[in-house]
Amino acid sequence: MTETREITLTVNGTEHTIEVEPRRLLVHAIREDLDLTGTHIGCDTGNCGACTVLKDGEPVKSCLSFAVQADGSEIMTVEGMEDLPEASGELHPLQEGFREEHGLQCGYCTPGMIMSGKALLDESPDPDEDEIREAISGNLCRCTGYQNIVKSIEYAAEELKEPAAADGGTVTAEQRFADDDFDCGVEDCCGGPSTSATHIEGADPQFDDAGGDTDE
Amino acid sequence: MKAAQFEHHEPTTVDEAVSLLESLDEPTILAGGQSLVPMLRFRLARPDTVVDINGIDSLDYLHEDNGYLKMGALARHADVEDSEVVADHYGSLADAAPLIADPQIRNRGTVVGSMAQADPKGDWGSVLLAHDGEVVARGPAGERTIPADQLFLLPYDTSLGEDELITEARVPAPVDGEGSAYHKLKRKTGDYAMAGVAARVVLDDDRRIEEAGIGMTAVDITNARAPEAEDHLVGERPSADLFEEAGELAAEASNPESDEHGDAAYKERMVDVLTQRALGDAVERAGVVKRRVTQ
Ligand SMILES: Cc1cc2nc3c(=O)[nH]c(=O)nc-3n(C[C@H](O)[C@H](O)[C@H](O)COP(=O)(O)OP(=O)(O)OC[C@H]3O[C@@H](n4cnc5c(N)ncnc54)[C@H](O)[C@@H]3O)c2cc1C
Ligand code: FES
Ligand code: FES
Repeated sequence: MTETREITLTVNGTEHTIEVEPRRLLVHAIREDLDLTGTHIGCDTGNCGACTVLKDGEPVKSCLSFAVQADGSEIMTVEGMEDLPEASGELHPLQEGFREEHGLQCGYCTPGMIMSGKALLDESPDPDEDEIREAISGNLCRCTGYQNIVKSIEYAAEELKEPAAADGGTVTAEQRFADDDFDCGVEDCCGGPSTSATHIEGADPQFDDAGGDTDE
Repeated sequence: MKAAQFEHHEPTTVDEAVSLLESLDEPTILAGGQSLVPMLRFRLARPDTVVDINGIDSLDYLHEDNGYLKMGALARHADVEDSEVVADHYGSLADAAPLIADPQIRNRGTVVGSMAQADPKGDWGSVLLAHDGEVVARGPAGERTIPADQLFLLPYDTSLGEDELITEARVPAPVDGEGSAYHKLKRKTGDYAMAGVAARVVLDDDRRIEEAGIGMTAVDITNARAPEAEDHLVGERPSADLFEEAGELAAEASNPESDEHGDAAYKERMVDVLTQRALGDAVERAGVVKRRVTQ
């Protein structure tokens, strides 16, 4: 006899009501009941992190929780990334980072990496390399050697800090003032001493203020 | 593999949980699920009923109260990691929390669940042993406290009754001159310990060790104390020689097994080294260094 229960999950902002057995894992509910197959399953032991989703904003391994335990919660999966305002209708800066910095090879670990990266940047918008490595320590990658994954997340942090700057675009005065409130009063204020060269229209984003190559 | 079918119960109070545990047939408690869910999936456990305690809000706390640091059954590893009072006063807990598994698992796994899991590779058991900690259990007959050194019987086996729920794990608040630390050796980030040592010392006004606690991870059938090393430290002034002797005694007290991570002799050597390091940090945190300078 199979008892099922009705549960409600808000996944990427959309409310879903589904019938599940208590033994159904959250990851199976996401992939099979909701057909959101971006969230991967890479192990049986809770080690790999390919199944990482955000549950009420926190990164968790969806293979280590039953779907009934997520009843009433807000889940975010990799499919929700491009609907976020920072994505401006295209790829989210994190996704763009993985593309720009070659943060993936086979791509199996990528959805989990992106969700762990998202959780990190929500908490700590300007992480150093150690913080990034710590944040993705529950996500295994068999291909990249992690170096480029770190760079991908750094790319996103940079991009989120200075919208459109990291890819060579320009930052408008409004965007910059939203970042820091410095205003010298002069029309088209340059943003003050803390502003990096990438803020200046046309500046080459490869180079930092001191003219050094930002690409370490 | 899929878990076998089970009934899922979600009590919202401790009383309700206890009466479920009493009335149901062989129920299993589900806390963070970070150990239990894989066990259910591999069908190493096949309970008919699962009592999920995540909805019991009254168990979600971590605070100092009445001379103890108290961690309710829903205090997650991440809550310990993020706690200011832990960072300021409980060196060994502050050391251990970020060394457990990875951020995702720390967001769900609980300190109490680790104690109940009684995995000899678990980190919290050693920390509680070094602190003379205890757990508070509630069952149909009421409440009782179980000292950490009477909790662990065998790997994955505790002295807890089948109809008992651990509501809290706690350690005595530090006294003046107390310091503690935890050192863990593992192959890579996120792994269980190959060996781990928690140390706690209390120094008297004369800078002699008044009290010492040592708990060891992954080197015996349960988390274990090192009583000979503890006794050897008491009454002595901290020194590198003393710590070396204590390290050797701890290594002698340990019973590691050879496995893919290393042979038993290597692990004993590591217990020795980790004991010395943990003692060094514990004494430093106990303030002896500072006092020496100001005297
Ligand atoms: C990949 C991976 C790596 C890990 N690495 C480490 C590590 O390095 N160090 C470490 O210490 N741990 C590690 N863990 C285990 C983790 O810390 C678990 O969170 C912990 O062992 C169990 O806590 P839980 O809350 O998840 O308990 P659950 O999995 O929910 O329960 C575990 C057991 O305890 C019982 N139980 C739970 N709560 C209670 C209660 N209140 N009263 C009575 N019984 C109860 C359950 O019935 C079950 O038998 C790891 C786990 C994974 C998956
Ligand atoms: S599938 Fe969840 S951790 Fe591997
Ligand atoms: S890109 Fe293949 S596992 Fe990470």
